[in-house]
Amino acid sequence: VGRDDATTSTSSTELSDYANPKEYEITGLTVTGTRYLDPNSLVSLSGLKVGDKIRIPGEAVGSSIRKLMDSGLLDNVELFATNVNGDKIALSFRVQERPRLYRVNFLGVKKGEQDQLKDKVKLNLGKIITNTVTKNTQMAVRKFFVDKGFLNTKVKITTVPDSTRNNATMRVLVDKGQKVKIRKITFDGRSEVEEAKVRMKMKGTKEMRFGRLFTPSKFVPKKYEEDKQKLIEFYNKLGYRDATIEEDTVINNGGKTIDIVLRINEGRKYYYRNIDFSGNYLYTDARLREVLGVNKGDVYDPEDLEKKMNGNPGQDLSSLYMDDGYLYYNAQPVEKAIEGDSIDLEIRIFEGKQATINRIVLNGNTKTSDHVVMRSIRTLPGQKFSKTNLIRTQRELATLGYFDPEKIGINPVPQNDGTVDIEYSVEEKPSDQIELSGGWGGYVGFVGTLGLTFNNFSARNIPNFSAWRPLPAGDGQRVSLRFQASGKQYQVYSLSFTEPWLGGRKPNALSVGVNHTVYRSYSFTDLYSRSTRGAVPIGSYSNTSFSIGLARQLKVPDDYFSLSHSLSYQRYDLNNLDIFYIGYRNGISNNITFNTTLSRNSIDNPQFPRSGSSFSLSGSFTPPWSAFRSVETSTPEDKYKLVEYHKWMFDASWFQTVFGKLVLNARAHMGFLGSYNKRTQIGPFERFVLGGSGLAGQGQFALAQDIIGLRGYDDRSVYTADYDRATDATSRAQGGVAYNKFVAELRYPVSLNPSATIFVLGFLEAGNNWGSYKQFNPFDLKRSAGFGARIFMPAFGLIGIDYGYGFDRIPGIKDRPSGQFHFTIGQQFR
Amino acid sequence: CSPFSKLQKNGTDDEKYKGAVQYYKKGDWYRAGILFEELIPVLKGSTESEMAQFYYAYTQYHQQQYLLSATLFKKFYETFARSDYAQESMYMYALSLYKDTPSFNLDQSNTLTATAALQDFINAYPGSQYRDDCTKMILDLRRKLERKAYEKAVLYYKTSGFNIASYKSSVIAINNFQREFPDSEYNEELAYLKFDAQYSLAKNSLETKQKERYQEAIGYYQAFVDKYPSSKFLKQAEKMYETSQKEIERLDKLEKEKQQPKPDPNRPAKVTAANE
Repeated sequence: VGRDDATTSTSSTELSDYANPKEYEITGLTVTGTRYLDPNSLVSLSGLKVGDKIRIPGEAVGSSIRKLMDSGLLDNVELFATNVNGDKIALSFRVQERPRLYRVNFLGVKKGEQDQLKDKVKLNLGKIITNTVTKNTQMAVRKFFVDKGFLNTKVKITTVPDSTRNNATMRVLVDKGQKVKIRKITFDGRSEVEEAKVRMKMKGTKEMRFGRLFTPSKFVPKKYEEDKQKLIEFYNKLGYRDATIEEDTVINNGGKTIDIVLRINEGRKYYYRNIDFSGNYLYTDARLREVLGVNKGDVYDPEDLEKKMNGNPGQDLSSLYMDDGYLYYNAQPVEKAIEGDSIDLEIRIFEGKQATINRIVLNGNTKTSDHVVMRSIRTLPGQKFSKTNLIRTQRELATLGYFDPEKIGINPVPQNDGTVDIEYSVEEKPSDQIELSGGWGGYVGFVGTLGLTFNNFSARNIPNFSAWRPLPAGDGQRVSLRFQASGKQYQVYSLSFTEPWLGGRKPNALSVGVNHTVYRSYSFTDLYSRSTRGAVPIGSYSNTSFSIGLARQLKVPDDYFSLSHSLSYQRYDLNNLDIFYIGYRNGISNNITFNTTLSRNSIDNPQFPRSGSSFSLSGSFTPPWSAFRSVETSTPEDKYKLVEYHKWMFDASWFQTVFGKLVLNARAHMGFLGSYNKRTQIGPFERFVLGGSGLAGQGQFALAQDIIGLRGYDDRSVYTADYDRATDATSRAQGGVAYNKFVAELRYPVSLNPSATIFVLGFLEAGNNWGSYKQFNPFDLKRSAGFGARIFMPAFGLIGIDYGYGFDRIPGIKDRPSGQFHFTIGQQFR
Repeated sequence: CSPFSKLQKNGTDDEKYKGAVQYYKKGDWYRAGILFEELIPVLKGSTESEMAQFYYAYTQYHQQQYLLSATLFKKFYETFARSDYAQESMYMYALSLYKDTPSFNLDQSNTLTATAALQDFINAYPGSQYRDDCTKMILDLRRKLERKAYEKAVLYYKTSGFNIASYKSSVIAINNFQREFPDSEYNEELAYLKFDAQYSLAKNSLETKQKERYQEAIGYYQAFVDKYPSSKFLKQAEKMYETSQKEIERLDKLEKEKQQPKPDPNRPAKVTAANE
């Protein structure tokens, strides 16, 4: 292709005398044939310089051409001698430039496919069009369609040069042809296993059938190969250790359909006969056999065996050793004898020495203090090495929320003296959250929210300005500030602080919170009349609360348990406003409660849990004021001066990976409210309100209530009591005294990137809310189903959207089933 | 328009350079930095290039951009190895790294890099005027690592209420500390703490393991007393020492009592084991 030093021209005889290379001094270097490239820069690329002495023919000539070709800018390079005078020579490169890609046109392709193709093919505009580029593009485009079942796709590429610039348009002409469907798959030689089951294993290769919607029949060579592999694995799992596909034929029926014939040699089914162990000095064969859980006569299944040996931390065979310091443990199953349908298995064990942990090394904590991380690490110096503890530590570090859970590194480094150092490496991720929204609206003034949550705060470093980055951080404390307003009408101020290890000795978490809410009611005429300077409130309501709590991690029954106690005081101040519909407009209610919560949480990852469960049982109690006063005679003002109730909440949530990345989340929630005194009704405070997104929402002063979501129904709407026939106004207005809710949710992660964790979900939900215990019936539930998506971004927290369809009627509100969208902000616990 | 932005917009390279040097001499690191940054690519190959890069590195250093200044100083002494400022530049590289080291309770990778850079400087210029400063800084960085190791050992001791096994971890961490930092000031306190941790471990152990652990604790006490005969922790330590001895006596007595009654003829092996 003209790569060789074509030292032609007049003086060819002199120059190409290979037997007598001669040394020349270069007197001139020129470049011809350039159209858009700079000749000078090409000369410098060639590595030759005027004044250089080179041998012709010789290495220098070849290498200069090679260097120019390697730049990828040129299609062809030739070197000429333009003038030879004794030992002086003038050289000239004749080059041919390559066109650059200016545009790609796909022809014969749908618009949507074009966009996908552009992603797939990765043609950067401005790239130089070489043969390789063309060829690769052609192959990639063809593969794209073949993978979609268009087996007969033809792709032709032409480059159309642009006359003005050194550009070219690439035309990709695609002839997809017909989609190739599979008319028939025949399994020859199959007798032991049901045909339907074998067919099912071919997940990506299906026969055509009317009404097959989700896995349409198409032939994708890659999937077909995978399916054949899966088929064999399936046989192996059933004990057919020797199963093979002896022959597979793909028959083309004239382009539109194909037939597949698979000839399977099933072989025989094998069973375990003897399972022996060798190399085991610590445990008897009987003990090992018991842990392994494989018995004589069981079907021979290597995959299952592998799982029982290594796949289940804490319960498999390896854990027996690896959790007791035997770091070097290694076991190999060996088929010792095969007789008839029986296999004798010998598991060769290397026990090695027991390793004790000496050092724990932590790297990568550029923001979070050592002690915050170290106290979560479950491997301690002096303990025997334990695999289970390593895995537990990984979970604990992920749960802290300061590090990227996908990047927690664990590296045991064995030392010569029988000890092992364990190195943990972490990568900090942003853990603070900001919520900011706002506007200036008409008569109300400022409307909006300002919320700040610092999850890794350091109160100790507040006076130490040099440690501010940009705030004092790293001690694992949590500070949350929030201000929300709808102008003068409604404002919320709140502040909370949590120290997870009070005193630094034990994981006793102290939390303190203060909250103040004001609601003012305006007469609408005042609001809209421009003449009145500032609207005059007709009534107001405020709620001030303070709470302090202490939570303790327990060790019994296991260390996922924790117990917490809190004391809170709330003061409701009504000023000419009957917000509770309880018969008084002016007065103060005081609510003092003591709460105890027992909970267990073993969820593996807070952002996208795949396994583990959490449950919590809590009871809240006010003092039994009614024991000290007469209930019958008191007015509402007196009665609710001191609020009285007891309340019980139960929540359970369970995560399980179903298949691949698909995770099932099953939840149950319930709550009950009661009174101490049979003669008093259950009061209006702290009742349950069910329905919708479960957000308290702006302007909904749901302060003395517990708001629980139920997708597919209107916000705060779910209520069994017939609205019109509700016996007392109190319960009608304020919500239920008992609620149940059950959820089954399937989740699929779209992105697990910590800067934006995204997952989609489908759900089935059922719940109800009862106004009295007489009506309570846990089988009478309002059902709904739907789907949605969640996105978690460290700076904003969790944001979600769901579409829910409610199947049941809500008296007074909903006449027939209907669907609706719900938006959520923040983690919904119930 | 301020004279600075006028210079930045309309000045010739020469004027800019002079202006930058002036700002630099006045201590206006920010403005000088901006001008030098713009000039460096332009000046490539010229005589001013060397000084421009050197000054630029300093402007960043003075603006506390230590990571950047470290890179710049490093680049300088690598590019101008024969410059008069090469030594100073290498020192400034190490100093920048030193200034950039984090607090003891964070990842110490940078501390190790800085220590290595300081040591490299001392090796390269043993007679340098900066030598003493470097030695001081190395000691200072070492103290950081020392503090980290100390806090770790103490943390295990502190959190042992949550997990008794941490007493043992504390003892091991202190052993490692004593080996790594034999001349540390923390050693007195840690020697006491080691005894305390071992004593507490023994106290909270099963009876079968207590004796051995008390004996080990007594060993630690003796090492502590020998080394620090007038320690302020001595009084507390003595109390625990006495208790340890009493406990060992009690356990000995208990063992004898267990032995004395009938030697069970059916299970002789067990009894011999207890004797050991």
